[in-house]
Amino acid sequence: MLNNSTHRNEPAAAPVVPPAAIRLRPLSPNIQIYRPQLTSVLSIANRITGVISSIGTVALVAWLAAAALGPTAYSGFQGEIASVPGQVILAGFTFAFFLHLCAGIRHLVWDTVHGFELRTIYISGWAVVFASILLTVLAWAISLFVIT
Amino acid sequence: MIVESSSQVARATLLKRFPIPSNFGVDPKSRITRGKTWRAPNGAKRTKLFDVYRYDPESSENPRLDRFEVDLDECGPMVLDALFWIKNRVDSTLAFRRSCREGVCGSCAMNMDGTNWLACTRFISDLADPAKIYPLTSRSIIKDLVPELTDLLAQYELIEPWLQTRTREPEKERPQSPEERAQLDGYYECILCFCCTSACPSHWWNPKRFLGPAALLQAWRWLTDSRDEATENRLDALEDSFRLYRCHTILNCTRTCPKGLNPGRAIAEIKRKMVERRG
Repeated sequence: MLNNSTHRNEPAAAPVVPPAAIRLRPLSPNIQIYRPQLTSVLSIANRITGVISSIGTVALVAWLAAAALGPTAYSGFQGEIASVPGQVILAGFTFAFFLHLCAGIRHLVWDTVHGFELRTIYISGWAVVFASILLTVLAWAISLFVIT
Repeated sequence: MIVESSSQVARATLLKRFPIPSNFGVDPKSRITRGKTWRAPNGAKRTKLFDVYRYDPESSENPRLDRFEVDLDECGPMVLDALFWIKNRVDSTLAFRRSCREGVCGSCAMNMDGTNWLACTRFISDLADPAKIYPLTSRSIIKDLVPELTDLLAQYELIEPWLQTRTREPEKERPQSPEERAQLDGYYECILCFCCTSACPSHWWNPKRFLGPAALLQAWRWLTDSRDEATENRLDALEDSFRLYRCHTILNCTRTCPKGLNPGRAIAEIKRKMVERRG
């Protein structure tokens, strides 16, 4: 038996209902006033790009289904993608994919308990942003100019 | 762009707040209204405007933002000095916690220009004009800048921040090598100001069930203490999908710690220990 560990053996106390004055207390603002910093912005961007990538995967399946359904369905799909809004959305999907990829690698490094000094957090954070922009541009350059 | 230490104040800023409506998701009783403006006394040459969050528990009004014009020639360099100037010269009903005025007690933790820090170690010159002074983020407010901390202290108590041993107490001290003692560096210095926990978005969305960086940093402090023998029990207490694992390594905590500590790394160490013991 551990010395000083009686705390966890106590039965849970009945929840106390606070008086009216306490229940009326306001909550101080959080996301409404907290400064966006590289830390929080990249974190939520990782989550959002994750959701976008999931939607992109469904779009990918739709494209493959269109290809399987025959020339008319496929050319219809390709026509939509070739339009300006289609290309913009495709570029958005590409960037979201690469940002999620780079941020994911950063997370894997953190899982080894490395790179937690503030300086390293910021350097790796900006590296993720610039790497994903670079990879997006590279992917589009290859698909537009190299792959004929 | 590259922040070397948490004491660095962001200079260039693209966004001062997230691009959402200013009262987004705020319940009606917490909505902030524009309050009074208090001009500086005549003859004040160097002045700065401070927008300070006010809440009067004895009135039924919503919290408001009062604008104070502070005479910088009459008060010291820190935000706490400005708050004292306001309280002594302008509005004596302004309430805030304070004690040591040198950044070691953690009483004056509050949100200044969007980030949590101690008022006594934040330079007035590092803030914008008008400077925005809010209480600690996402806390129940007792009055003005005084937040409710008992729930955070209860979460701290939950991790059992005391020595637990099986072996009999020694005659003198429990010996510890310098290397073992070095394991505590960066964790024992926490002053429990709760700047980190109230900066954590994950804690904003799960304040009751997620323990938050302050409590978890202290949990690591006891896990890594060579004299403590309750390691397995402490890790058992964290085997829960909310207590530890609502941390998604957002790292606002490490960015905001006024003592330069690293709760993010402490939590990563706990997660690694949790994995290691599974074998």
